[in-house]
Amino acid sequence: MVGPFALFKWEALFSDWVVFAEGFKTTISVTVLALTLALVLGVIFGVLGTSQWTLAKLVSRIYVEFIQNTPLVIQVFFLYHGLPHMGVMLPVFAVGVLGVGVYHGAYIAEVVRAGINSIHRGQMEAALSQGFSFWGAMRHIILPQASRVVLPPLTNQAVNLIKNTSVLAMVAGGDLMYRADSWSSDNIYYGPAYVVVGLLYLLLCLPLATLTRRLERKAGVST
Amino acid sequence: MKKIGMILTSLLLVAGLVTGCGSTAPSATPAPAPTPTPSATEQAADVKAIKDRGVLKVGVKVDVPKFGYKDPKTEKVEGFEIDLANVVAQKIGAAKVETTAVTAKTRGPLLDSGDVDLVIATFTVTEERKKSYNFSDPYFVDGVRLMVKKSAGFTSLKDLNGKKIGVAQSATSKKAIQEQADKVGAKVTFLEFATYPEIKTALDSGRVDCFSVDGSILFGYMDETTIILDDSFSPQDYGIASKMGKDGLAKLVNQTIADLKKSGELVKMQQKWGLK
Repeated sequence: MVGPFALFKWEALFSDWVVFAEGFKTTISVTVLALTLALVLGVIFGVLGTSQWTLAKLVSRIYVEFIQNTPLVIQVFFLYHGLPHMGVMLPVFAVGVLGVGVYHGAYIAEVVRAGINSIHRGQMEAALSQGFSFWGAMRHIILPQASRVVLPPLTNQAVNLIKNTSVLAMVAGGDLMYRADSWSSDNIYYGPAYVVVGLLYLLLCLPLATLTRRLERKAGVST
Repeated sequence: MKKIGMILTSLLLVAGLVTGCGSTAPSATPAPAPTPTPSATEQAADVKAIKDRGVLKVGVKVDVPKFGYKDPKTEKVEGFEIDLANVVAQKIGAAKVETTAVTAKTRGPLLDSGDVDLVIATFTVTEERKKSYNFSDPYFVDGVRLMVKKSAGFTSLKDLNGKKIGVAQSATSKKAIQEQADKVGAKVTFLEFATYPEIKTALDSGRVDCFSVDGSILFGYMDETTIILDDSFSPQDYGIASKMGKDGLAKLVNQTIADLKKSGELVKMQQKWGLK
């Protein structure tokens, strides 16, 4: 009787550790770039969502609703399999950064919008009356105050983003999950492979989740 | 204080994960045979358990025409491998065969968990895999083939120098192509996908230049824009897999295949489905 966790399977895994290290590296690089993109998109569309211009509000609404209400898998499939039919062949790494970044950008936009709305409108009115422009007031008055409220849910989004980079496994993206699939499907030593990969994701996410909790405590959001 | 508590909790969780998984292995052992009795009595035990249940549970493919394919019109799963499952069931004396759809990725775990007794799903026998499962003698031998776009103008593996080849996870084609490519001096890279339709999609969108699996499977995905190259290499043995420890069952399966080969019935079954 050979169980899925037989010792020789663990030995095979540790002798092939380079495979998993490669995947870990890819996952981290995609995460960092996608998070940057998501933050930029999130702040821009979040601020637009609270502005008085109807058009800007509408654009922000369409982006958020469209992205939030379609599965990430379909968005990534579209970037990977769909765009080439229209003559755009993005490398799979870019598909990962763009797909996951744009997806979480929509969520971050909502977080930012909620954060801005939580600041009393008197603040904006006072700033405008003092001669600040809309963007100046945002930058110097509103956003610094909102950021305290927004930080905990933002780190939460970062954790989700890390985990969601695993969709790349479905389009041969070379990330951690893909390496685990690929390695374990050759020899069917799936037991150790998925446990180790799970732990590696935990290693990435747990510190961030801890940070979230600490920030929440600091902001006085949690009891 | 709080911090320490949290670290401890997470450590406990991790420990629970590892040991929890570890302990599933022994509990998954078939219940009978508490003491290692001579193989003669044990044999009866695992085969008899299936007979008493009256149902032989078999993992089969549902997306490979001629081998295991679910006809969308009749909703019935049929093919050479399903016929084979029926013959084995007869031999055991089980009244019914219950098929479960498997993919290359799920067939190992399903065997381990005991959800299926046998896997007859274009499962290639390799030395590495024999360490984890019992494999029968081969009931079919097939070579790895290459499907490309007609418009690309490739004629052999050599033309694929510097190109990307789409293969299925859990398929042995990667190793086979790599060896052959080294021989003819072509440098190729591999992209792995979970299912065959995904590889075909990737071929259509130009993500891969070539779709490669065992020939018989590949023919199910032919259309007017593609051709299959003449290259065929490293014959793959398909075997019936069963869980290690159920040695009585493995023996019976092997006997069944040997009988079918001897009587010439196996060839007839293959001809029925237009294989060979």
